[in-house]
Amino acid sequence: MPSARELIGKFSDLKTLPHVAIKVTQMINSESSTIQDFEEVIKLDPILMVRLLKLVNSPYFGLANKVETVSKAVVFIGMKNLRNLVAVEALRDLFKEKEGDDSGFSRPGLWVHSATVAILSQMIAKRIFGQDGENEFLAGIIHDIGLIVEDQLVPEELREAARNYKNGDQPLTVYEQEVIETHHAKVGGMLVLDWNMPEDVVLGIKKHHDTSKEYPIPGVVSIIHIAEYIANRMKYGAIEGKADPLPPYLTPHMKERMAEYKVLIKDLPGEMSKANDLYGDDK
Amino acid sequence: MSDPFADVFDELIDEDEELQKVHDELSYLLPEAHFAVARDDGSLYGELADDILAAHLSSRRDQLVEEKIESFPLAESFAYCTKLPVDIYIVFTLPAEAADITSQPQLHAMYRNSLGLFAAGRRHEELRIEKEQAVRQIEVLTSRHTTLLNDNHDQFLLIQKKEKEYAATLESEIARQTKEVRAKNEELKKASKLKSEFLANMSHELRTPMNAIIGFSGLLLESDLNDEQQDFAKTIATAGDSLLVLINDILDLAKIEAGKLELSLAPFISRDLVGEVQNILKAQAQSKGNTLNVEVEKGVPVQMMGDDVRLRQILINLTGNALKFTENGTVTIRARMGGRDGSLQGDMVTFQVQDSGIGIPANRLDAIFEKFTQADGSTTRKFGGTGLGLSICVQLVDIMGGDIWVESEEGEGSTFSFTVSLPEVAGDVVEDKAKEEASSTAQAREITVLLAEDNLVNQKLASLLVKRQGCKVEVAGNGLEALEKLKTDIFDLILMDIQMPEMDGHEATTRIREIEESDESNKYASLKDRSSRIPIVGLTAHARKEDEDRCYAVGMDAFLTKPINKDKFAATLAQFR
Repeated sequence: MPSARELIGKFSDLKTLPHVAIKVTQMINSESSTIQDFEEVIKLDPILMVRLLKLVNSPYFGLANKVETVSKAVVFIGMKNLRNLVAVEALRDLFKEKEGDDSGFSRPGLWVHSATVAILSQMIAKRIFGQDGENEFLAGIIHDIGLIVEDQLVPEELREAARNYKNGDQPLTVYEQEVIETHHAKVGGMLVLDWNMPEDVVLGIKKHHDTSKEYPIPGVVSIIHIAEYIANRMKYGAIEGKADPLPPYLTPHMKERMAEYKVLIKDLPGEMSKANDLYGDDK
Repeated sequence: MSDPFADVFDELIDEDEELQKVHDELSYLLPEAHFAVARDDGSLYGELADDILAAHLSSRRDQLVEEKIESFPLAESFAYCTKLPVDIYIVFTLPAEAADITSQPQLHAMYRNSLGLFAAGRRHEELRIEKEQAVRQIEVLTSRHTTLLNDNHDQFLLIQKKEKEYAATLESEIARQTKEVRAKNEELKKASKLKSEFLANMSHELRTPMNAIIGFSGLLLESDLNDEQQDFAKTIATAGDSLLVLINDILDLAKIEAGKLELSLAPFISRDLVGEVQNILKAQAQSKGNTLNVEVEKGVPVQMMGDDVRLRQILINLTGNALKFTENGTVTIRARMGGRDGSLQGDMVTFQVQDSGIGIPANRLDAIFEKFTQADGSTTRKFGGTGLGLSICVQLVDIMGGDIWVESEEGEGSTFSFTVSLPEVAGDVVEDKAKEEASSTAQAREITVLLAEDNLVNQKLASLLVKRQGCKVEVAGNGLEALEKLKTDIFDLILMDIQMPEMDGHEATTRIREIEESDESNKYASLKDRSSRIPIVGLTAHARKEDEDRCYAVGMDAFLTKPINKDKFAATLAQFR
């Protein structure tokens, strides 16, 4: 059975993000990129351009005048937001087709899970910790990308692991390790190495199933852990009908801020439909 | 209230703890009552934990509505229950009167309000948290706003910097290209200079054989020939003359284009200028049955300052053209004061050459001033010519700061005009010395001429010409030989070629002038006992002005260009007899 690296080596569909996404993440990391540079790159992808303009003209930004140029839009939504939009755009198509089966794994289901984790992560960062949550959002939308790689290359084995997981009491990664000899967090973490993502985002992807350590609160990893837990409890899990327990190190924090989390999840449906308006598929 | 995510945190919530918390809160609000709180599953917390109560509660639970207190009688007292806004139920009894509080409005209202207060407290807590979260979100937005502002400011600085860089690159690029252009320009200048030098040499190479052709055909014509031979010789002479004109035209044009043509300004007599043109071309006019008139209008000064040689060249060119295209008609050379529109403009003089010839088609009027162009291709075949003449005229007029133009009607004739500023020269009229002297050649003494010339053909030609003038001649092959001859024989004049092997004309002349100034002159038969220095006449195919200047500079007394013009040669020789 292949190692994570070998798996990625075979994974051609997404070895790299689409050119535009790579370029945009690169430019965001570079201090010498100008808005004109962004405009030139984004114009290469008409769909992205339309979405960007739609996003900036949505009620969320509440601008008095209609924004009609990419450069102006970038000015208003900011670089990180732009990066996240590009990431969503780049990944969206990977999560299509392949309906679910008895294993509980399906790409559309995984998309809902990823989006929920992303939105929850950003909400937690913002509402509980007063941070912008852009990196948390990004980590959330990408964190299970390893599952897509596995579904592409070893679909039967992945489903076997998922079935074992549904009937067992260990995290999914344990059963993946048994069947595939690697797991999606490892695969995903390695895959995004070439994507110019911020370090904490990469860490969030790599460690989103690691409950052996206590991660700083707040932080991308701990927030992803919480969001993953809530999403699973809300039946938006990566594998349908299965939820892992909260990593123990987070229990005191959750209990202490329980009232706040309760208020927070009441607003989740609203935030999700808002996100759907902003990032959602038109079809 | 149906909350889709009500059970999300169930795992994390200790239900007993929750019940206890609610009980504590309520006991603060309802100090008089004995009560218990209960959950859906029947778990109870509080003092009234007896089975009847629990059973009663479970039977009624579904009908219980929030904020409405319902009562039911018990054995000793009334019991009351209601649903709290947190999925918890409260059951209580009042200790004193076992009366139905629903019949005591005040008491009922008090209890209802107390429970309402509990609910409000709960909601208040929720709102407080919501507000707190809203405040955090606003803080995030504010900081994002700041980030955006900073980002945009950074962008502004970045763009400014890039623009500066761009400007710098542009500048250095321009500097680089300017340098390149300069270098190219230098190269071109060098090439142009080389071209000029080449032409100067060509001029020598071309004139030397022309000298022979024109000179010997002229001599040939004067010898005893039969009619046919006469005709042949004449053809050679005419062809040589036209070839010389052409060579001169090309060299002139080259000189002008190389920027080497300099005007030499001197006073001249206006009537003489046009008169000479008329004289020169008279024969040509007559041969085609044309009348050649000259009109100098009133107001044109008698004497003016200008380059009469070049003016004459223009007029000869224009008049020659007019005669070429006119047959049995009239050609008029006219000079008048004023500019193109006829109005007086200071020293501006307009010269006109008007003919009654074939005229020029309107669509060719502009083209005829171009190099190598005539009215149309067929003109060349019919009338000959190179098309250089007018081009030279244009350039010369331009150098003089004037304007040249043509008016013409096909079949009616053409008028070529040009303007040029010629300041009036007041005072005595200058006399043309050379002419006078040339005309007084009648009586001349016999002199002995030393000809220094390396080219055998030219030796022969020049010797013949000298002899024709009734003089003796001896030949030296170069400057050194000439000096040797000056030692032994007595000569009255030296004809000095410039380009010669061993010692050239310039060096020889310099040397002779040095000897004349020193005691050495005693060793030279020709140079001792002279009242004045021996006349030296330069003879060269180098026809440029600087060549002439150089000759005078080294000490020559006159200068003749090859091919030798018979009349000029005679006139120059006569000066020194």
